[in-house]
Amino acid sequence: MPHADTADTCIDARHISKMYGRTSAVDDVTFSVQRGRVFGFLGPNGAGKSTTIKMLTTLVRPTSGDISILGIDAMKRPLQVRQRIGVVLQQPSYEPTLSVEKALDKYGMMWGVPGNTRRDRTESLLEEFDLEGVRSRRNEDLSIGQRRRVQVAREFMHDMDLLFLDEPTVGLDPSARRDLLDYLQNRVRATGLSIFYTTHILTEAEYLCDEIAIMNRGRLLEVDTPDALKAKLGDEKTIKIHLPSRPPNIRDLLSGMDGCRIEFGGDHRFGGGGGSHTGSHTTITIRSSESELVLLRVLGILRENRIEIEDLSAVPTSLEEIFLNMTEELRGQQGGGPDTGAGGDDDDGRRNNRRGGRRA
Amino acid sequence: MTHPIIRLVNRNITISLNPGFLIWQVIFPLVYIFVAGFAYAPLVQGIQFGEAKDLGYPAFLASGMIGFNIMNSTLVSGIIIWNDRRHGMFEQIMSGPFTRGHYIISNICTIAIVGLVSAAFIMAVGYPVFFEDAEISLVTIPIIAFGAVAGSVLFGSLASIISTRLRSSEGFNVIINTVFLFFAFVSTAFYPAEGVQEPLRTAFYLNPLTYLVDVIRAGIFGGVDAFVAVEVAVLAVLACALFVVASRLLTRLNV
Repeated sequence: MPHADTADTCIDARHISKMYGRTSAVDDVTFSVQRGRVFGFLGPNGAGKSTTIKMLTTLVRPTSGDISILGIDAMKRPLQVRQRIGVVLQQPSYEPTLSVEKALDKYGMMWGVPGNTRRDRTESLLEEFDLEGVRSRRNEDLSIGQRRRVQVAREFMHDMDLLFLDEPTVGLDPSARRDLLDYLQNRVRATGLSIFYTTHILTEAEYLCDEIAIMNRGRLLEVDTPDALKAKLGDEKTIKIHLPSRPPNIRDLLSGMDGCRIEFGGDHRFGGGGGSHTGSHTTITIRSSESELVLLRVLGILRENRIEIEDLSAVPTSLEEIFLNMTEELRGQQGGGPDTGAGGDDDDGRRNNRRGGRRA
Repeated sequence: MTHPIIRLVNRNITISLNPGFLIWQVIFPLVYIFVAGFAYAPLVQGIQFGEAKDLGYPAFLASGMIGFNIMNSTLVSGIIIWNDRRHGMFEQIMSGPFTRGHYIISNICTIAIVGLVSAAFIMAVGYPVFFEDAEISLVTIPIIAFGAVAGSVLFGSLASIISTRLRSSEGFNVIINTVFLFFAFVSTAFYPAEGVQEPLRTAFYLNPLTYLVDVIRAGIFGGVDAFVAVEVAVLAVLACALFVVASRLLTRLNV
């Protein structure tokens, strides 16, 4: 199949699927990524993110479909693709006996970077990734977070047009995580680098990505900008009402409300969701796209029944809630239990694929 | 830009040259030659070699140490693959500007280089011990070099095969140590096969290190005969067979 080999496209994946035996890890996924953009690939553990990234980086051959990376047919010329991309895989990778400084230098050497350039880049990356203090320490003696920083920093030793990052912030503390996101943003702005970024941390995607794809159980659910996703799927607001009491008839009073979803409990002071509260307080969570109207009606009911309100808040639905709603909705449609992510954190997506999800 | 294989060999040698490896490669053979060799000398009288040569035990052991050290060093180099898989570097390299062919050939080159350097080192160190009996010539030097390279490929391939089949540290260490123990001590590296009781004597010849040691010893002391020629052939066939198996397994290795 011919690819949309335009100068603006750095990834063009058409109907790619990956089967492991009779189980489907990735099922008929199609998307494209524009050059100079950060493309977020979101999904819970076991969604098929890592399998997708392995196909895009030519590590795994798709069962079917076409992939074009930087205008190169990834199936026919995988080496050409790999010469122009950088890859930070989800699993840690390091040379245990090399010092941080030596590891950076040797990695640059492996990519054929000249000695002078390697020296300059090593110094610069040690500073930018806050690794100067451990420059002489062997990789095996580093903390998980430090090792992760070396793994990401190392990839910037060589030139590339497209960088694949598979959950790169795993093991990083919040400060290092933010520093990395800022560094990536700056690189994109300064060099026009394109980034394909998988994560299951929604705030990261919202902060960094120009465009986001949501994947679950091997299928693509949505692809759009963070704002468009929120506008499209997150037009509802979440209202939380805290009551200082446990009115016995509160469920009955609010049961006739239309145009909203109401949950009781959920507060840590209660025994769990679904209203089975055991404490002396009640939390009512209302989600609605007509939040103002619904709120007025709820307040009216509470006033009529002389039920005191302790606290009230209304917040726009976050990307995280959209994501959770989408994946839960899909689970509901499929009648399945929670997605445990068969591969755990080592997401290779080898699990049964259940059909019936929303498609992009 | 240098060839990808050269870059990978450079990287392999760098990560192999750690203090533990150097101690293993330098200190241990020295202890064997100069402590065990001279300490056991009174117990092991002149060893018949060829038709008219009696070797002292230090000379016999020093020449055996060359083959032993080749096995030792190349087993360790072959472990690079296991280490790469264990520490995620195999996938990382495969996602870089390299093919599997580059990776396999670079490992074999690394193993051969380490084997040759190791052989040269023990030759140099052991020379004072065996120089009186040595008959090194333009004919025997290629035999020694062949033995070193074939032995390196053989043991390096063996370590590579084990590396591709095992992932856990426990399993890997048990297998490697068992292999090492059998190869090291059920061979002619430390003692001659002549006079050893059956079935131990036969077991010696089920061990490729015996062939490697015999070929190198024959190259040093000039005892190349028909039996050594057969040993050369066995060594070559075994090295080729194991190399083919190792290459196939590496080619099919999943990322």
